[in-house]
Amino acid sequence: MAMNRRNFIKTAAATAGAISMPYILPSGRLFAQTTARRANHVVLVLFAGGVRQQETVDMRYLDGSQNEAIPGNIMYNLLDGAPPIDKIVYGTTGNRPGEIPIPAVLSNPLQRQGTLFREMRASQAGHYSGLNVAVQGNTKVTQGLRQKPINPTIFEYLRRHAGFMATDTWFVGNGIGNSVPLLNYSEHPDYGATYGANFFAPRITFGELGFKHLANAKNYHPEYELEPMYKMKTFLDNSFRQVSEGSTGIGNTMEEKLFIKGFMEEMFTKTQSGTITSPAVMDTSDLVTLSYTCEVLQWFKPALTVVNFNDMDACHGSFTAYLRNLHRLDHGVGFLWDFIQNQIPEMANDTIMILLPECGRNLDPNPIRDENNWFGYDHSDFNTQRIFGMMAGPTVPQDLVVGDENNPVGESADVVPTIADIFGIKQTVVNQGLLSATAMSLFDRI
Amino acid sequence: MNMQTFNLLPLPWRRPKHLLRHSLWCLLGFSLLISCQSNDTYFYEVNPLELPSSTANKNKAKSLDQYISILYANLFQDAISADELSEIHKVMESIGDKELAREVVISNLMNREGIMIPSDEEMRNDIDAFLMDTYKRFFVREPSEAEKTYMRSFINSNPDVTAELVYFSFAMSEEYQFY
Repeated sequence: MAMNRRNFIKTAAATAGAISMPYILPSGRLFAQTTARRANHVVLVLFAGGVRQQETVDMRYLDGSQNEAIPGNIMYNLLDGAPPIDKIVYGTTGNRPGEIPIPAVLSNPLQRQGTLFREMRASQAGHYSGLNVAVQGNTKVTQGLRQKPINPTIFEYLRRHAGFMATDTWFVGNGIGNSVPLLNYSEHPDYGATYGANFFAPRITFGELGFKHLANAKNYHPEYELEPMYKMKTFLDNSFRQVSEGSTGIGNTMEEKLFIKGFMEEMFTKTQSGTITSPAVMDTSDLVTLSYTCEVLQWFKPALTVVNFNDMDACHGSFTAYLRNLHRLDHGVGFLWDFIQNQIPEMANDTIMILLPECGRNLDPNPIRDENNWFGYDHSDFNTQRIFGMMAGPTVPQDLVVGDENNPVGESADVVPTIADIFGIKQTVVNQGLLSATAMSLFDRI
Repeated sequence: MNMQTFNLLPLPWRRPKHLLRHSLWCLLGFSLLISCQSNDTYFYEVNPLELPSSTANKNKAKSLDQYISILYANLFQDAISADELSEIHKVMESIGDKELAREVVISNLMNREGIMIPSDEEMRNDIDAFLMDTYKRFFVREPSEAEKTYMRSFINSNPDVTAELVYFSFAMSEEYQFY
């Protein structure tokens, strides 16, 4: 059949449609996924609080930092290496404090289940600015504490360009200090609250204060009470033209709000009965945060979950506490990974975990000594820029180590394009022109 | 001279000279008469009229502390303690969706003893008065006629709507976030 102009256009349009198949997002925007998804769930573990390479991937334990030539790996759920053989202080207490190491949760460390970026770079030496880089993918972090990110966060990119609902994106914080609650969305005019993530700081939300001011909520009937209440609210809002982002919320639908309130109710019940999912050892605030993160994952099965920790910051004044907290968070992350694979069928084998600290710590100690006469470390010198990163899960090259001390590969800003890559919208996100010029997907760095 | 000027008038308007002189004297006398009258002062004023304040000048978002303090005062007719203010501030900060946080906090306050909300009977007995009070309490203004009409009709046509739900909707509204 001879092809006239009309037939040609029809055929071309159909072909183009078959290639990229755009669709309309709930927000009304046109979306075209650029590449296939690598996984349907991502858990980003911000192994934060300032972590030195020396005690983590370098596995030096006390060697070089405290004039004790005792090396060893105290993070054997994450890293492949033998533990220290002397001066064990990081475990649980037996006859002496911390002398019993916590048994490994994973028989196969995460390093072997994915790719270890042995030497990456953090562009910021502070906690909040370091976290900002990780969630914004941009190193231009000029804002200080008490200010929201200036560039869109990964939550906003995913919600705007991949069409996720508010309950598909979660940020779980270790607390409400250091401006952590501000990281769930930016103040960028094209993004903002409308595309923000849900956030809980579980130690507050489900802690003593939460019980006092949140747990005793009246149960309004969704249809006969909440619906008319919202109708009146809508009328009142329509009479008022001034709208602020903070007042409008992040766009949870009424069904999503009910779902979240159901989760909160469940958490208060489980907390009261002591049945919150938790690892064998749960004696730090990071592990409490991690336990509630498991609950968030099980309830919502989010596409993206970001969880932030901070206990390692004890290193300023107590090297012993720093070691204990490192060991415990390794235990917690091992538990989290195991929980996803064995307790959440919807996420098992379909989740990529990304893990990295927000910054490192100094090479030289400060003068503060702890109970073992060991020096503390701050975070301000070039050693603070040294961090590691890790990806594990399906489609991630297995048992691979990339880079070394003399050949750093990757930076903390890579997190955003990497997650965008996993969800198939890397190019769309890059095209917004708001990422750091040097940031790129860790998959592309391999 | 003026005389010459008058002489230039067209013929039909010419007057004898003595008439003209009389007219000038009359004019001068009349002017003196007017200039000697008392000078009355008039003040123009408008009658006092109470206007409902507009929402247009509410353009500053309340801080979280302001919101909590005012909410507590509106619901309990009492000032919140510093400790409680700090605690509610913290739990609201611990929830990312501020609209949801407000909803949960208000739901908890509604469950407390001492909350001061008119009974449903009082509301339905005089809906207009209830609306006037509610608008003044939460929005610090009177409702417009359109607002009164809609809300009155909504309450009348929805038997499930209680005074508590009306208060809830006001406390959740956008306007209540501003001053």
